[in-house]
Amino acid sequence: MIRSWNALEPHLGFLLEGFALTVAACVLAVAGAVVLGALIASLRTARSRAARTVAAVYCDLFRNVPFIVQLFFFFYGLPELGIYIGAFETGVLAMSIAGGAFVADVIRAGILSIEQGVIEAARVFGLSRWQIFSRIVMPNALRVSVRPMGSVLINLVLTSSILSTITVNELTGTAKIVAATTFMPFEVYAVLLVLYAALTYTLSLAVTGVHRRLNRGMPEAVA
Amino acid sequence: MRYADFTPYDLVLLAQGLGVTLGLFAATTLIGLALGAALTVLHYYRVPVIGHVVVAVTELLKNSPVLVQLFLVFFGMPAFFQVNMTPVTAALLTVSLNTAAFAFVIFRSGVEAVERDQIEAARVFGHSRWQILRRIISPQAAAFSVGPLIGLLVNQLQVTSLISVIGVADLTKIGNILNLRTLEPFVVWSVIGLTYYLCAKALAALGGRLERHLRRSVVWQGL
Repeated sequence: MIRSWNALEPHLGFLLEGFALTVAACVLAVAGAVVLGALIASLRTARSRAARTVAAVYCDLFRNVPFIVQLFFFFYGLPELGIYIGAFETGVLAMSIAGGAFVADVIRAGILSIEQGVIEAARVFGLSRWQIFSRIVMPNALRVSVRPMGSVLINLVLTSSILSTITVNELTGTAKIVAATTFMPFEVYAVLLVLYAALTYTLSLAVTGVHRRLNRGMPEAVA
Repeated sequence: MRYADFTPYDLVLLAQGLGVTLGLFAATTLIGLALGAALTVLHYYRVPVIGHVVVAVTELLKNSPVLVQLFLVFFGMPAFFQVNMTPVTAALLTVSLNTAAFAFVIFRSGVEAVERDQIEAARVFGHSRWQILRRIISPQAAAFSVGPLIGLLVNQLQVTSLISVIGVADLTKIGNILNLRTLEPFVVWSVIGLTYYLCAKALAALGGRLERHLRRSVVWQGL
């Protein structure tokens, strides 16, 4: 075991670079997924039937096709359309789109959980439709959906490992290289497993913190 | 002569890939659910140390990327334990364990959802712990778990696409081969994606029927 650690030590910097890339991809993709998810969720609860249908099809499609297939679709397909972006950008794009479908479902449930009376009261006070949406509906929906969104985002972080299949050298990609050069795949991947678990655990702690902060002063849910 | 165009034989390839995907999915589901149920029984009997170990290991499996688990088994285990590992064995082992970890959590909450009163009543009637598990808890826990289990299995079907990365010729791998030969990413990945989509929908429909069948005696009386 001591031998293993000594052999891995020179590669720690390289692994750390990969870790930084994973974090960067995750931060960008999480932001993208939440923005896109909020947009799709508001479309899914819109008045227009067409908007609802489009949003529902989007969610259904991207939730039921494996992420790796979506990733290959974008990675090999976009250059065909004359769009030349790097592998990292493609990966972040695919993660945002796939994550957006899951986040949309969560936020939609949050929107539907708002009591009709609250919206009616806002209407009686003379708030415009946009004001009701941005001041009443969205803040409440986001507050309710923080916790379920957390598990979606944790899944997104785990999904980021798949970017290694399109030549992005994030944590899994660098680990592959280190495993090949040191020929200690078991040790490298075991460390990786624990690292990812630590990363998602930290994220879940952060989600709990945000949930507490947004729900301060709220009575505890009974169910 | 370049074999760049689609040929009728590609359909045979596609069918083979689909067969591998579905076969592996069926096998890992059976093993995973059986193992998950066995772990739940272990947990139910509160075996001293093993219960905690099971919880810790399943948490680690749930919170790390399946891709890394695959690499650990396929590249790591042969190097560390000097065993032979074919891609199919590695895929079977990894995906089964992963399914088991998630199924364990679902079954456990199903067991915990059974009311204490029923168990106490059964104990008063002189049933043994095994009889209570067999006659009282497991039928109800099965009915509680079937909904979340269907969601899990639809997800696990998509997880099987990752085994293409270690060289199993499943649907995604066939897509990769066709993509590189024909250079038609849109056609290839759309067909592959659609096939996965239809499988997921069929699975969900099948699960819905099973759920209705299992819950036919449970009348939802409102909150």
